[in-house]
Amino acid sequence: MSAVAETIDRRARSRAAAPPRPRLRPGALGLNLLTYAIALLVFFPILWTVLTGFKAEADAAATPPVFFFHATLDNYHAVFSARYLSYFENTTLLAGGSTLLALVLGLPAAYSLAFNPTRHTPKVLSWVLSTKMLPAVGALIPLIVIYKRVSLFDSRLGMILLYAAFNLPLVIWMMRSFFADLPKEILEAAVVDGAGFLRIMGRIVLPLTAPGLAATALLSVIFSWNEFLLAVNLTGANAGTLPVFISGFMTSEGLFFAKMSAASTLAVAPVILAGWLAQRSLVRGLTFGAVK
Amino acid sequence: MTARPASIAPPVLEVARGRWAFLRSQRMASIALLLPALAYLALMTQAPFVVTLWYSFHNWILTSPELGHRWIGIDNFRYELTEDPIVRSAVVNTLEITAAIVGGALVLGLGFALLLNRTFPLRGVARSLMIAPFFVMPTVNAVVQKNLFLNPIFGLLNWIWTSLGFHRIDWLAVHPKFSIIAMAVWQWAPFMMLILLAGLQGISDEVREAARIDGAGPIVEFRRITLPLLAPYFELAVLLGMIYILQLFGEIFVATQGGPGTETTTLPYYVYQTISQANDVGTSSAQGVLAIVFSSIIAALLLRLLTRTFRRGLTA
Repeated sequence: MSAVAETIDRRARSRAAAPPRPRLRPGALGLNLLTYAIALLVFFPILWTVLTGFKAEADAAATPPVFFFHATLDNYHAVFSARYLSYFENTTLLAGGSTLLALVLGLPAAYSLAFNPTRHTPKVLSWVLSTKMLPAVGALIPLIVIYKRVSLFDSRLGMILLYAAFNLPLVIWMMRSFFADLPKEILEAAVVDGAGFLRIMGRIVLPLTAPGLAATALLSVIFSWNEFLLAVNLTGANAGTLPVFISGFMTSEGLFFAKMSAASTLAVAPVILAGWLAQRSLVRGLTFGAVK
Repeated sequence: MTARPASIAPPVLEVARGRWAFLRSQRMASIALLLPALAYLALMTQAPFVVTLWYSFHNWILTSPELGHRWIGIDNFRYELTEDPIVRSAVVNTLEITAAIVGGALVLGLGFALLLNRTFPLRGVARSLMIAPFFVMPTVNAVVQKNLFLNPIFGLLNWIWTSLGFHRIDWLAVHPKFSIIAMAVWQWAPFMMLILLAGLQGISDEVREAARIDGAGPIVEFRRITLPLLAPYFELAVLLGMIYILQLFGEIFVATQGGPGTETTTLPYYVYQTISQANDVGTSSAQGVLAIVFSSIIAALLLRLLTRTFRRGLTA
């Protein structure tokens, strides 16, 4: 086995010495074209929605579909006047507020788990994760009953408190994994210098893990932004979010396709942009740090 | 002789006590940092499960307050497991739909990942386009697919379908399960792709090179090298995917409302129906407990895998 490995190693090294520039074979060109075609096909529903948002209603519902049309902003005007802004505001506040709260609670916890691990740490981490795995629908009934009783039902505060809890495991796991990647020496030096938690966090740890922190925050915002089950059951006219607003188009039957598409575009665009920004740490976030 | 140790002793003791105090303060500080988060998690996410369990032993209908809430033991569960005609099909639907989505997304995701795991111009752009569906909110996905694509009269898919010479189909009415699965696969294939792509990138070129030198063609290389080395990533993708997809709700709420009949009624949707239409706290809680039991089985498997990788790292 080791002899084979050595041979491979030597071969690899002799290759590395003179790296051959791979020529573009016709097979590879075909695969490239296939990849582009599939990428466009996968993205097409989003593109089509964006395009339909700029059509007049008659063009939007036309068969055969209209590919070239006179673009209009009417749908966006209509959407903005249809109480859309209050839903947008709610969604932004809920996603931002809950992410902030999750970070305030989760960063110290992640710090503690990464830098002062004990023999209980794996158990604690495992429990934190398990809270994310049970279906929200199992917690739904008491939430409805209790939220109505303590008048948190259909309130922004109530939803922020809830979404923060649902994003807390993500923050703890992801930030713990970023913290654990830091060189221990830097931290030890700071502890020896007598720096406290806030100082170490603010001056050393967070600046060094800023990209990871940004990705964690973005993912948390994305999950809160898109959440539907709790939103549709626990909010109404006051704290309703975009997923709830959009679900109102479910029976539009050709009447409001263009408006529906404009509203959808506005609801989805910020999240797709956020997702693209968080791309580098996406896998780590989605797998709770198991894949880096 | 005796004076000497006495004079040395105090500083040693002091150092020892000082070190312990330092450790103790470290530990206290560490717990103080950790505890608020854990307490908050327990209160907001675990307490409701306990309350769900409590409610599930009661007869309590919100719209009939005169009946109060009465302890009825396991009657709700007995009804759910033996008499309720819908719950069984809801469980079967949930498993069928979840399995089909995970399977479909996994196959597509593997294909996407293999295509992206090469060097070619505009690779970043292709990757970005391919992961975009994952960020689309489920209700937008369902509303758009239902109206712009699957609508029997105005839908783009039906235009393509009839242009190819087939008959017009009302997809959501005739193939409701398939339509829901297709929508969700579009959304979840990028998720699978991301995990598998990370796995593919972990396979060293040396291993592939060695296989090629030993005369392995692309198919043998794929079956004997790529697939086995990807196994832990498949496991992770499947378990994580199941955890999330078991909770699928927005697509069903918007596209089919669980219908036609109960053909796409899944456990989460059934719980929603029971509480929002029948206002039955007891029964819906019992159904919620069933949903928890299902997810717990998968969660236990996933946790074992993740704890293993937490200790060793996910090495291919």
